[in-house]
Amino acid sequence: MNWLKEFYQVWRRECYLAFTDMGVLIFFFVLPLFYPVIYTLIYNPEVVTDVPAVVVDHSRTAESRDFVRTINATQGIHVIGYAADMGEAREALATKKCYTVFEIPADYARAIGSGGQATVSLYQDMSLLVRYRQVLLSLTGVQQYETLAVTAERVAARAGGLTTLVSGLPIGTQANIAGNPSQGFASFIIPGIVVLILQQGMLMGIAMLAGTRRDRRRRYPMHVDPTDLGAGATATVLGRAACYFTLYLPMAYYVMAIVPYVFELPQAGRPQDYMPFITVMLLATAFLGQTIQIFVRERETSMVLIVFTSVFFLFLSGLTWPRYAFPVFWKAVSDLIPATWGVEGLVHINCNGASLADVSGYLWPLWGLTAAYFVTAVLLRHFTRPTPEETAIARREWEREMNGGELHADA
Amino acid sequence: MLQSLRHGIRTLCSRRIYFFMLILVPMAGAVFFLSLMHEGLPHRIPTAVVDLDHSQMSRSVTRSLSATQLIDITERKESYADAISSLKAGEIYGFFYIPQDFEKNALGGNHPTLSFVTNMSIYVPGTLAYKGFKTQAVTTNGGLLTAVLQQSGAEAALGLSSGSMMPLNVNANLMGNPWMNYSVYLSQSFLAGLIALLAMVMTVFSITEEIKWHTSPEWLASSRGSMALAIFGKIFPQTVILTVMGWGMLAVMFCYLYFPFHCPAWHMLLAMFLLVASSQAFAIVVAEIVPNVRLSLIVVSLVSILAFSVAGFSFPVEKMYGPIGIFAYILPIRYYFLIYIDQALNGLPLYYSRVYYIVMLGMLLLPLAGLARLRKRCLDPVYVP
Repeated sequence: MNWLKEFYQVWRRECYLAFTDMGVLIFFFVLPLFYPVIYTLIYNPEVVTDVPAVVVDHSRTAESRDFVRTINATQGIHVIGYAADMGEAREALATKKCYTVFEIPADYARAIGSGGQATVSLYQDMSLLVRYRQVLLSLTGVQQYETLAVTAERVAARAGGLTTLVSGLPIGTQANIAGNPSQGFASFIIPGIVVLILQQGMLMGIAMLAGTRRDRRRRYPMHVDPTDLGAGATATVLGRAACYFTLYLPMAYYVMAIVPYVFELPQAGRPQDYMPFITVMLLATAFLGQTIQIFVRERETSMVLIVFTSVFFLFLSGLTWPRYAFPVFWKAVSDLIPATWGVEGLVHINCNGASLADVSGYLWPLWGLTAAYFVTAVLLRHFTRPTPEETAIARREWEREMNGGELHADA
Repeated sequence: MLQSLRHGIRTLCSRRIYFFMLILVPMAGAVFFLSLMHEGLPHRIPTAVVDLDHSQMSRSVTRSLSATQLIDITERKESYADAISSLKAGEIYGFFYIPQDFEKNALGGNHPTLSFVTNMSIYVPGTLAYKGFKTQAVTTNGGLLTAVLQQSGAEAALGLSSGSMMPLNVNANLMGNPWMNYSVYLSQSFLAGLIALLAMVMTVFSITEEIKWHTSPEWLASSRGSMALAIFGKIFPQTVILTVMGWGMLAVMFCYLYFPFHCPAWHMLLAMFLLVASSQAFAIVVAEIVPNVRLSLIVVSLVSILAFSVAGFSFPVEKMYGPIGIFAYILPIRYYFLIYIDQALNGLPLYYSRVYYIVMLGMLLLPLAGLARLRKRCLDPVYVP
């Protein structure tokens, strides 16, 4: 009973501290509300289309013009014009008027017409891989189309009876794109990055609360934070975690359900699958935050110390570089971060329609992290917990200040 | 001048956080990015084969699939449903599906369909698996077509060689990065982005920290009341440290890992110095506008994290919505990125990058506008938590 009372008091005090602190509110509400929107706006054009291209045509025949018309008709390539020679094309590349150059050889029409193979040269600017990817996909389509058209023509011309045999390719191919059928950039990056935003926002909020506590400790007698209730270790850790968790649960629903709905991102997941999953991740993060708060010595360093980790955590989550290709060491490090499991699990739930049972391989490690960080947080609290006498002295001083009209903004 | 520099160096030595953020984090970043992606491309993607045909032909397709560099057949599944649930569990990134009676239908001219599924929600392995599967489907086709024509004796009559089954060949020249190396592509921009982030955050932190601890009047006094000199003394030691760290990263990438490097070294060294200095200038402007430790840190944190996306490292700026894309051009990192592409990657003459260098130089002058405002705040420091 006593424990429950302590737990409840810690919860209430932590919520009071969070709601009276503008900085914390920014991390707890503004960040998860607006960041997913900003990110989606950046990537929402989804697919790179019409990469500008320049053609150097040494053939100047009906066939080569037909080729240019065909590539121009694809989604990925937009022919902005002809260049007289490679020098002019290079100039267009250098001034970023185009990112792709096609060079059609002088014998293009002859090679096609005589049953041989024509080779077109492609010069591709490699500053961004998405441009190359789009050009390549379009070009593969053109190649397949030409293969069909030209081969059928050749066979029909030379051995009429066989036309039926090669009217099409002997085997059909069907490509199925799972998870992200538009192959878009936002649909790929947003479902993962929102999970990372939840983790980082919560960590920064917790760290800022902890930093403010440290600042207060410097100001008050016995170096004790007067807002500290002096409650037991488990009651404190769980009570605070309950506060962060309750504040973040609506945010989790927002980024999991509302953001994908508004921007028409993949939303194959069911709430009964992603909400329990994200619950575990939020718990693990709440305890992780209470563990790493030991490094935060000042209110403002919370941001300094956590902001840059987002870059590392993004890569450790395996979103950009898949985890199976990680060196062993980094794989082990990434195992320790809740968002790693959160990102992969939730991407599979939300994009591939996986059920909770399907992603159990991500859920169990997450429970493991929750337990581990709970223990570390409790141990830290146990060793840094002020005695009731100390808190009483600090609290008296605090109350005196409050009543004396010298109200601190963060009190 | 000397006195204000001494003050700046003393700041750096006063707290561990400076050592941590200016030296340890860049080093850790370099080690992290360069070792994480040292393979260049994530080859051997875990995939599965669903072979319902169990014929000589289907086994041969499976064999040639697993012989490719991109694909690693880690699982063999007996049904489509099995393979899908394995994909949902994240064990595989795609699978190749060979239907029943595939060999019979293929040889009998009944046009069977080979299908494959790739999980594009994880982009890179999804795309590579797609490429591997597609190639396999096309080669199987080519092989069969040749076989069919040979059987009917048409090959000789047509004078077709097996190569001419592909009348159009594309000779792709990937300029600068022919290996499609992911590390070349990502490490360059993300490490530079990390340097810019640290430069911004630490500049704002070290300036506004003086206001927080009410030590800013002494700080101003150390440079005889000149705000410009005080900022120079405080920031320049950080400029030197971060530039050296950035140069170290460039040295590792260009001289040890042999990333594409087609320009004289000083082009990139200058660009790195300008990146650090102009990021700091950007941060000083923020500190002048909001001389409050929390608000200014929030602003630079949000800006420098968003910079990784909006500067167009992976999605081209010209394809973003106009009102969003325009923000790329207020970020120093955007100009560094363009210089890197022009100079180191594509080896263009300096002439084509002149504007980017000039803009970064111009950014260094921006803080001058708000010096008076910051000075007033420094003389009368108010800490708003």
